[in-house]
Amino acid sequence: MTSFLASSSRELVAPRIIYTQIRCYARKQTGMDPKQDIIRRAIYPGNIRNKPTPTGTWRPDVEKALQRSIPSVQAHETIERAWLLHKRHIRKRREAELERKFECMKRAMEELARIDSQLYYEANKPENPRARTDEEASLIRTLKGSEAKTLDARIRGLFPRELRPPTDTPSRNGWKYDYKPFYRPL
Amino acid sequence: MSSKTLVSLCRKNSSATPRRTLATVSPSIPVSHQKPKIKPTLLTSIILNRSPILTPTPTPFERAYYSYQARLRRALSNPFPYDFYFKQGSILETRFTLEERRRERISFGRQFGIADDLDAEKAAANKAAAEQLAEQEGERDELMPRVHPSDEARDYKSLDRKGRRNLYLLLEAKEGVWRFPQGDVKKGELLHQSAQRDLLAECGERMDTWIVSRNPVGHYKLPKKSSTAKDEIAFFYKAHILAGQVQPNLETVKDFAWLTKQEIESRVPQHYWFGVKDILSDH
Repeated sequence: MTSFLASSSRELVAPRIIYTQIRCYARKQTGMDPKQDIIRRAIYPGNIRNKPTPTGTWRPDVEKALQRSIPSVQAHETIERAWLLHKRHIRKRREAELERKFECMKRAMEELARIDSQLYYEANKPENPRARTDEEASLIRTLKGSEAKTLDARIRGLFPRELRPPTDTPSRNGWKYDYKPFYRPL
Repeated sequence: MSSKTLVSLCRKNSSATPRRTLATVSPSIPVSHQKPKIKPTLLTSIILNRSPILTPTPTPFERAYYSYQARLRRALSNPFPYDFYFKQGSILETRFTLEERRRERISFGRQFGIADDLDAEKAAANKAAAEQLAEQEGERDELMPRVHPSDEARDYKSLDRKGRRNLYLLLEAKEGVWRFPQGDVKKGELLHQSAQRDLLAECGERMDTWIVSRNPVGHYKLPKKSSTAKDEIAFFYKAHILAGQVQPNLETVKDFAWLTKQEIESRVPQHYWFGVKDILSDH
């Protein structure tokens, strides 16, 4: 890449050996349908590797474009370092917050263990996502098909489907305020 | 390039010392393992969270960096094989060429992205064709703004306010004191079950809530009312609200509000705040 900033003159030296040894599938064939030609050129890009890119092709005005994009080598490095520093700040803040939350949780569990060992044991029990409690099993027998599906959809220990990831713009209808309650035994 | 070496240096360091997760790193606080003589009264409290609806706004530095990187990528990338993707002479190709030229001019300046055919009539016809295509494909629909009317109106009961932030439910109890929804634990009941029951009792059933786990996320020792009274400890459980709205039980609760962490600090008593602040998300 530094070569572009240094000098713009390059010499194309393609040894003659390449042409005889490699079959150029992308070579133009006269009398062919131009559509097939285009497809062939896309599937079989040129073999000649005379530039640093993997496929050997820059855009035609690449030196001019790069000179417009990069102010200088030092500026580019400074930008890169500033970005890494910025990411580091964000990461450290996030890690500190997680650590505080985890400490709260740890202290709460230790306090619970001190107070009531049975509740502590129950709180630490791993959730079985495939298990149905007795209450759920008896409830599901009384429900209709769609309602039984709704009951089964919320799986213990897994995130619910309705917990949507954030988007760039809000939905047209906004928050869903009218919700019909659905009883789910814990 | 030395920037590449800097990046590769960073990567090498992270692989040499693998980062330990919180469970192994956090120092164990010396806890008195003696059981308390009188068992304290247990309460469960719920931190009901409305997760962010909107993505965070990029800072000016982030926006500048992203556009710089996009420019570099555009300068270094292969020329796009547009004859493979667009049929020659079609409207799609015209629209793509127009948009691409505009992107080139934005990235590099006015010397780039100049049209080959400078016939004014043809250019106008191309533009009209592209507009027609956009209308047909319905790309003229406006997007909703990121700021909701409830933001300006400061409607603290609205769940559309502050889309980028985490909102937490705060209740105003009878004495004029703001706290999280709270209730006692019945005999034989597990803590997370009592948390769910207390939430429904204080805030109504017209909400779709999901309690994240059986483990409490924090605890708070309520200040003792008198020296002879029993200790009261509240265990907090994290829950998410997915739909619906709070209908407060007017016997125990005067008012409710959906607030960010900073707004909670200004409303809640100081002792309570110090017990609770580390559980909440900053953003």
